[in-house]
Amino acid sequence: MQMRLGFDQVRRAPLVLFVVLYTVVTGGPLLWVATMSLRTTAEIFKDPYGLPIPAHWEKFVEAWTKSHYGTYFWNSTIVVVIAVALVTVIGAMAAHCLARYNFRGNHLVRFLILSGLVLPPQLLILALFQILLDINLYNTLTGLILVYVATHIAMTVYILEGFFAQIPQDLFDAARMDGYSDFEIFWRVTMPIGMPAIFTTVTLNFIILWNEFLFAVVLLTDDDKRTLPLGIMHFTGSHQLDVGMVATGLMIAILPIIAIYAFFSETMIKGMTARAVR
Amino acid sequence: MAVITVEELSKRYAGAAAPAVHDVSFTVADREFMVLLGPSGCGKSTVLRMIAGLEPITSGTVSIDGKIVNPVPAKLRDIAMVFQSYALYPHMTVYENLAFGLRRRNIEQAEVARRVHAAAAKLGLTDFLNRKPHALSGGQRQRVALGRAIVRDPKVFLFDEPLSNLDAALRVTTRNELIKQQHEIGTTSIYVTHDQVEAMTMGDRICIMNQGRVVQIGRPLDVYRNPADTFVARFLGSPSMNLLNGRIDAEDGRALAHFAGGAVSLPKRTSSSLAQHVGREVIIGVRPEDLYETVPEGDAARFARLHVRVVAVEPLGAETLLVVALDGSNEELIARIGRDTGLRTGDNLDIALDTAAIHLFDPATTKAIV
Repeated sequence: MQMRLGFDQVRRAPLVLFVVLYTVVTGGPLLWVATMSLRTTAEIFKDPYGLPIPAHWEKFVEAWTKSHYGTYFWNSTIVVVIAVALVTVIGAMAAHCLARYNFRGNHLVRFLILSGLVLPPQLLILALFQILLDINLYNTLTGLILVYVATHIAMTVYILEGFFAQIPQDLFDAARMDGYSDFEIFWRVTMPIGMPAIFTTVTLNFIILWNEFLFAVVLLTDDDKRTLPLGIMHFTGSHQLDVGMVATGLMIAILPIIAIYAFFSETMIKGMTARAVR
Repeated sequence: MAVITVEELSKRYAGAAAPAVHDVSFTVADREFMVLLGPSGCGKSTVLRMIAGLEPITSGTVSIDGKIVNPVPAKLRDIAMVFQSYALYPHMTVYENLAFGLRRRNIEQAEVARRVHAAAAKLGLTDFLNRKPHALSGGQRQRVALGRAIVRDPKVFLFDEPLSNLDAALRVTTRNELIKQQHEIGTTSIYVTHDQVEAMTMGDRICIMNQGRVVQIGRPLDVYRNPADTFVARFLGSPSMNLLNGRIDAEDGRALAHFAGGAVSLPKRTSSSLAQHVGREVIIGVRPEDLYETVPEGDAARFARLHVRVVAVEPLGAETLLVVALDGSNEELIARIGRDTGLRTGDNLDIALDTAAIHLFDPATTKAIV
């Protein structure tokens, strides 16, 4: 038995080594930024890899107020929360219809929606810029929200349709016989049962849109409308020597994502692989 | 009161070569328990779904109490359905599952609660009202599905193979419970199954379907004793009826059924109706229980002796299945004999055949002649 355990450990050693190296490579820079966020620029230049002793928590207050990170944070929050809410509701309804109803043009609609998955954002940016200009939504948070909704519908529908299609048809037939309308069936049957998958899309969309840069940098120009990724870029450009404050700003941007992922990653993974209960 | 009339009901799916349901007609009387029986894919569930309003009808009509309900949506037909998969909402408790249909109909909360508790008490679910379906056993889930139909107090119950997901022992007890509930409540019911035991024990009448068509309708024992064609003859009964190719001849005013391995004289009652079939090919049918190891006491003249060789002996405990080969041929028959037998593979014996129980079928149409 002991020999067997030793053999298993030797077999697993390369995998463990790979995981450790990967963790160091991906987690190391994050940890470094976290320590720098609590140190002054002078301390960092003196000792780039030192520990934050003492920890300068007041830097977060300064970044929030004086460096406008508070404004960028709220802009990101407004844009992402509204966009994720809209894309979830619209995407869920579209996925429900595609999964449950056989209507003329079903395949064409599915193809058109899902073809958005294969189009790179760079292909759309010029057209979106022109469209928003034409409808007076350029350089507005509303315009950015609409763009986020349009570009993330495809992935949301793709994930949700697969899950919704697994829900047994009998549940819907029973609800029809009980007298519920199509929308009521969607709201009372599909949405509650599909919650694991819906949660997954909400989390994924939140993480992706929180970090979204390309559309934001093209479609927003005013400083008071910038989202966090833009704000960080702007701040980094004008304060590139103030490494400590750049790191503090980065942590303000990353912390919500880390918190969401830390608390909800297991639910998200379950949602990706969940099957509807019979 | 609820009388269901189905007239020339048909269903053809787009692109299908043949209709799934073709000209199905039957009537279910008030308070009757009608069973739709047939093999998988014969169209029985499609007929049920068309009656429920869940499937569009290609042609024909469905009437309830004389009123055609083709254009009436499912929710307005006053029908409750129990599905094969139970269709319990996994995110709701048993109480909420039972109350779900009632809440949509603007019934007062107090009345909803009363009906739910009454149904739960009737079905032994009172202790499980706060549980969710995943915490219930298969039998308990089936009772919740039945309860959800009962609380609606509908005109008609439809059952779509509700017992097929249960194990054999639970199926027997649940079947008896269903029969008891249906007799107590007395609602007109249509029950779909592929299980002949369910059909024989539960139905007031059975409607046998095959390949989208109705083959025979009648009381279970009538259909069993007088199958309309070879399909019904083989479908009902386990083991199936033995079918042999043969020919009818006349001798001394009596009809003789010739087959490989012998010939048997048919009773006078049968012979008189066979005049037009003399000299023609027939299919001879004999049920396993009409073959005997020894001639039973009584009218010995009724029994013909066939010399056979035992091919296999299958003791089932309560009885024995004997597979025998007719003398001088490869035709095999299955006989159901008593549990105490000393027969072994390779033995030769004269098996007794009850000639009064012989069925004859036209090989061209497969329909019963006698």
